Amino acid sequence: MSCNHAKPVARALRLAELLYLLTLSMSFYFLLMSRTGEAHTIWEVLHPALLPTLFLATTILVVVSLSSEKSAYKMLFIIFHSVLIHSFLSVVFPAGDFSGQQMVLGRIRRLQDEALIHGWPPGSTGSFPSEIFARFGGVNFQGAITVALGQMLNVDILWIHLFLVPVLWGVFTPISVYMTTSMITSNDKVPILASLLISAFPYTTYFGAISVPNSLGFIFFFCSLCFMLRYLSSNGFKTMALLLLFSFFSLFSHYLTGIMSFSLALLAIAFKAYKSEKAESPRVKLSLIFPFIVSTSLLPLSLIYLRFVRPITQTAFTLDKFHELPLQEIVNLTLIGELAYGFDSGTIFLVLVGPALALLCMTYLIFHLKKKPQAKGRTQTHFLITAFLLILVDYRILKLFMEGLPFNEERLWVFRDFLAAPFVAIAIWAAMSRLWTRLGVTSPLTLKLLPRKKSTSTKSHGISGLLLVLNILIPTLLGVWITCSLTASYPKFSPLQTTWYELEAVKSIDETTDEKYVVIGDLWTIYAGERIVGINNPTAYYFAELDKTGLDLFSSMKQDPSPKWMLQAMNMTNTTIAYFILSEPRLGATEFNVAVSKAVQVGFRWRVMGEGKLYIFAYNMEQTPT
Amino acid sequence: MGTNFASKLESRITLDRFLIFTLISYVAVAAIFVNMAILKLPALGLIATTIYFLINGVFLGNAFFAKENSLLRLMLGILLLVMLLGLIDWVVIIVASLNTLMLTLALVIASTASSVLKRMVGT
Repeated sequence: MSCNHAKPVARALRLAELLYLLTLSMSFYFLLMSRTGEAHTIWEVLHPALLPTLFLATTILVVVSLSSEKSAYKMLFIIFHSVLIHSFLSVVFPAGDFSGQQMVLGRIRRLQDEALIHGWPPGSTGSFPSEIFARFGGVNFQGAITVALGQMLNVDILWIHLFLVPVLWGVFTPISVYMTTSMITSNDKVPILASLLISAFPYTTYFGAISVPNSLGFIFFFCSLCFMLRYLSSNGFKTMALLLLFSFFSLFSHYLTGIMSFSLALLAIAFKAYKSEKAESPRVKLSLIFPFIVSTSLLPLSLIYLRFVRPITQTAFTLDKFHELPLQEIVNLTLIGELAYGFDSGTIFLVLVGPALALLCMTYLIFHLKKKPQAKGRTQTHFLITAFLLILVDYRILKLFMEGLPFNEERLWVFRDFLAAPFVAIAIWAAMSRLWTRLGVTSPLTLKLLPRKKSTSTKSHGISGLLLVLNILIPTLLGVWITCSLTASYPKFSPLQTTWYELEAVKSIDETTDEKYVVIGDLWTIYAGERIVGINNPTAYYFAELDKTGLDLFSSMKQDPSPKWMLQAMNMTNTTIAYFILSEPRLGATEFNVAVSKAVQVGFRWRVMGEGKLYIFAYNMEQTPT
Repeated sequence: MGTNFASKLESRITLDRFLIFTLISYVAVAAIFVNMAILKLPALGLIATTIYFLINGVFLGNAFFAKENSLLRLMLGILLLVMLLGLIDWVVIIVASLNTLMLTLALVIASTASSVLKRMVGT
């Protein structure tokens, strides 16, 4: 009998897979169609058919994930899906997301130029610890990979940079979740579900979409966590070596992820020692508290001492927030962090629903596992729950008791979400299993096997209802959840992203100037410059984003366009031509028109781009303005 | 059928009889070098890089993740290769400069290390 039904089930599965690939390809196509040169957020320009198609693809993917298909195929489909949803910023905007991503590219371009000629870093960077940080921290590791891949493939490093993290994240985050979840459950479908559900966590999706060293560090952190769990159940040298390897690469990529990797590694060592104790006496259990406190305090303390290698960091402990903020705000900050400030209820729900569900599941598992000392993955489950707790505590310490942090505290939510995903999958699977047990089936695609004839009419109605829930409602709900999470993942408000005419202006200057030049522009011009020629490039100089000199020169030129500022810029940067860029959307029409008319009257040579939205003024050493 | 082919290819690469796949990896490096120095064709770069990553990814995957399923083995092997390559390039950037010749040398070192690790660590 099962043989007779196996063929239709396999056929239905193939059909579902084909349909999935079709809808996914269409989603890629619609994303490409959304590419634009002038927008604030992706939501302004996304093709109207993209989200419905993506929702359909996700729903079908949920069905395939719950089927009896081989895990490798399911994982491959999930990887395709993951790469797509993390590529929105890189595909839609010509220079990717503004700010962090472009700043990193600016430095990698410089690294490429210097690496090809002089080695890196160029010149001394200050004290010995700062020198160490300049060589071993920050953008260097990501830069090395980007430059090498760019040369190997013979493509501009912009493309490698834009897609490096979305692709690596899209591939390795689902794999890491899969491996992590496999360690705490014996069911082979739960890890697949978890690797799909990691896409339902908005903060995680956002960090997978931007190519910054922190994101690369998160990827290595996720891998190190998998090997921490393996280390708990194995004494192999290979596992320990891989744990350390991924932790060190996590540290090379970014100090936040590195410190967290080592904090949890310390906790894992304590858990292993605890596991080796045969009796679970209260004294043995208490022995875990000290390592927990040490692991929890490692991140706040290391941020304090970060100033020795990174002098611009001025992090300190403080109680100011308790003196300055009203009690209600303190409570809100403790409970929901930055979501307390002006986020809509939909976003708050989407950000919190996953961790809240995970917390419920963890609470249940703690009591459930108490009765089953020999259950598979018991120690690993306890370790993950403790790690989750550690992140929750660390987040509150950073949010409420510290100031001058070198990053936004909410970055810790990426760790939290990664730890939550396996438990969310376990909770959802447990709910579905209940329904399946009632129906006596193994997966949605085997529902035809139901012995309907034996059922009474009332029973048949009940079963039909459950069938509806299993076959349609659950995949649809999960599809809706994952698709809606995208709306909370990508910003809904943002300044105008780097525009096509700003990029054209930078390109045109670089292509038409044979001598060394300097560009005076606003922050947005600097970002555009970073994309094309890099930061502080001696032959095509753009001031760094935080360099007050550059911003002061721009401000002076805007108020009083005069050759003296241009000459000053040239003298400061040892260049022979100076350019000044004004952009209408950045200044506003009135200020732009005034500044342009003043600059034209001075007699600078000028060019117009972007249908009158951008002006480039030029001045060289020999020129006398009319 | 596709699975069989992939599985056979993987086992052949893993066996690496007469170091044939290690040599193919070196040929891919030579192609990358010629492309970087003279031809500058993205398509050739893509093909040679794919072959390079496939062979050495399988080597490292089998050395360190032999118990995983084939997809995870390959992917994690490629991740290790990216890490190894990034590390070597990073050192090269700090002590010298990452020009065409040095990058080629880095690729050869990474390839040799993958092949050796597969023999030493792999089961």
